[in-house]
Amino acid sequence: MDESMDSPMVGLLGRVTGTVGPGLVGEVIVRIRGGAEHFLAHPASPKERIDVGTVVTVMEHLPPRTVYVTAAYDS
Amino acid sequence: MGIGILAGAVVGAFAVLVIVFKMMWRVAEPNEALIISGSNHKNEGLGAGMGFRIVTGRGTLVLPGVQAVRKLSLDLNETQLSVECVTHQGIPLKVRGVVIFKVGDDFVSIANAARRFLDQQKLMSERVHIVFAGHLRAIVGGLTVEDMIRDREKLTGQARSACGTEMEKLGLIVDSLQIHEIEDPTGYIKNLAAPHAAAVQRDARIAQAEANRRATEAEQQAAARMSEATRDSEILQAGYQAERDQASARARQAGPLAEAASRQEVVVQETRVAELEGHRKEQQLQAEVRKPADAAAYETRTLAAAERDARISAAEAEAKETELASAAMATATRLTGEAEAAAQHAKGLAVAEATRAKGLAEAEAIKARAAALAENQEAVVAQQLAEKWPEIVSAGASAFGNVDQMVLLNGADGMADVFAKALTMGGTGLGLARQLLTTMSPAAQERLGTGVPPAPRAQAESIEITVGEGE
Repeated sequence: MDESMDSPMVGLLGRVTGTVGPGLVGEVIVRIRGGAEHFLAHPASPKERIDVGTVVTVMEHLPPRTVYVTAAYDS
Repeated sequence: MGIGILAGAVVGAFAVLVIVFKMMWRVAEPNEALIISGSNHKNEGLGAGMGFRIVTGRGTLVLPGVQAVRKLSLDLNETQLSVECVTHQGIPLKVRGVVIFKVGDDFVSIANAARRFLDQQKLMSERVHIVFAGHLRAIVGGLTVEDMIRDREKLTGQARSACGTEMEKLGLIVDSLQIHEIEDPTGYIKNLAAPHAAAVQRDARIAQAEANRRATEAEQQAAARMSEATRDSEILQAGYQAERDQASARARQAGPLAEAASRQEVVVQETRVAELEGHRKEQQLQAEVRKPADAAAYETRTLAAAERDARISAAEAEAKETELASAAMATATRLTGEAEAAAQHAKGLAVAEATRAKGLAEAEAIKARAAALAENQEAVVAQQLAEKWPEIVSAGASAFGNVDQMVLLNGADGMADVFAKALTMGGTGLGLARQLLTTMSPAAQERLGTGVPPAPRAQAESIEITVGEGE
């Protein structure tokens, strides 16, 4: 898929709406294409567990709708 | 004419142009994607090896006859689910739910969906239903009943992990999975609720009972107050009624009372009259009866008093006479007694004097004897022995009373010896006698022998002691 015809996603900030963690299929909601869409999410580092409501950064986007995320702020 | 034709041609050409443009320019509405296949002179929205263009939200020129344009709806779709499944605890349930899904907005999802559903957009729901029925079984199988009821997060998580990837393949995204209704043939959910329902029912009943109690108390208090008020009012009314009755009775009695009072007055006056009459009668009786009776009584009393005084005087004289006689007799008797007593006294004194003289003489004799004893004990003892000698000898001889034969050696000395021994058989008290027999002259020896009876033996012992002390 060509990046010119579809918006790039890597680096976007998103919000966790379903817990992201090892063994789970999480969900993040990301602002894209003028709207906000939800994507299936996995942690970028395998052991990380990210709770609902955490702000995350998209590290990797595997089309169609899977992203790898990490927590945006080290808290 | 020519100008008109020219103008008409121009207008016609413009109209044709507009029509052609209208045919070539296609616009994608917000909820649809245009899938343009055919010549790929434009590679906008064209992925590598894709073979068709995807246009969303804009207009694009399409060559009619060269390119085919199809619309793919990006609208929300829903499918109803009704699945019999088993929960994580093994409880069979019938779950009714709804899945809301749409084609993904990114070009990859649109391409995937277009390849699968472009001609079957009406059937998309059925396809998804078929896919989802199995997934819902898996989802419910991973949850407990309590989770399904309460833990929405867990349900959606399960749904994503069970079917998110599967839906990605189809280019669809699940916006929402709702469980509408859970049919529970085993009554599990009802039983879960039962304790809480019972507790709530209990509290409600308690509250109801409490409220009833309070209401009843209030009602009863009110009733009591009412009856109290009624009672008070009735008492007051009765009081007033009594007063009224009293007043009316008094009013009714006033006439008779006045009458009675006047009658009473009459009676009082009559009584007074009767009293005066009685008084008069009494006075009359005083004058006619009592005065003479008094005079008679006085006469009688005076006579009796005089008689009594005479009798008293006579008795007194007689008593005086008797008293004097007895006094004289008593004096005589006393004098006689005194004389007799004096004689007795003199006699007693004489006897006492005689007795005292005799005692003094005896005491003198004893004293003299004691002096003599102190002077010469032995002589006294010897004398006493001599006085008792015959008894001593007879007692000593009684020791030989049962002897048939006795051989004496040593002549007269032997005889004396045996005899002395026989005398000593009487007891230890005769030790002195034996001593005397052996040591003193025969005359003195003869005085020994007091020791036959026990009492004299005691005497002898005392004598022996005295002798010992003397020695």
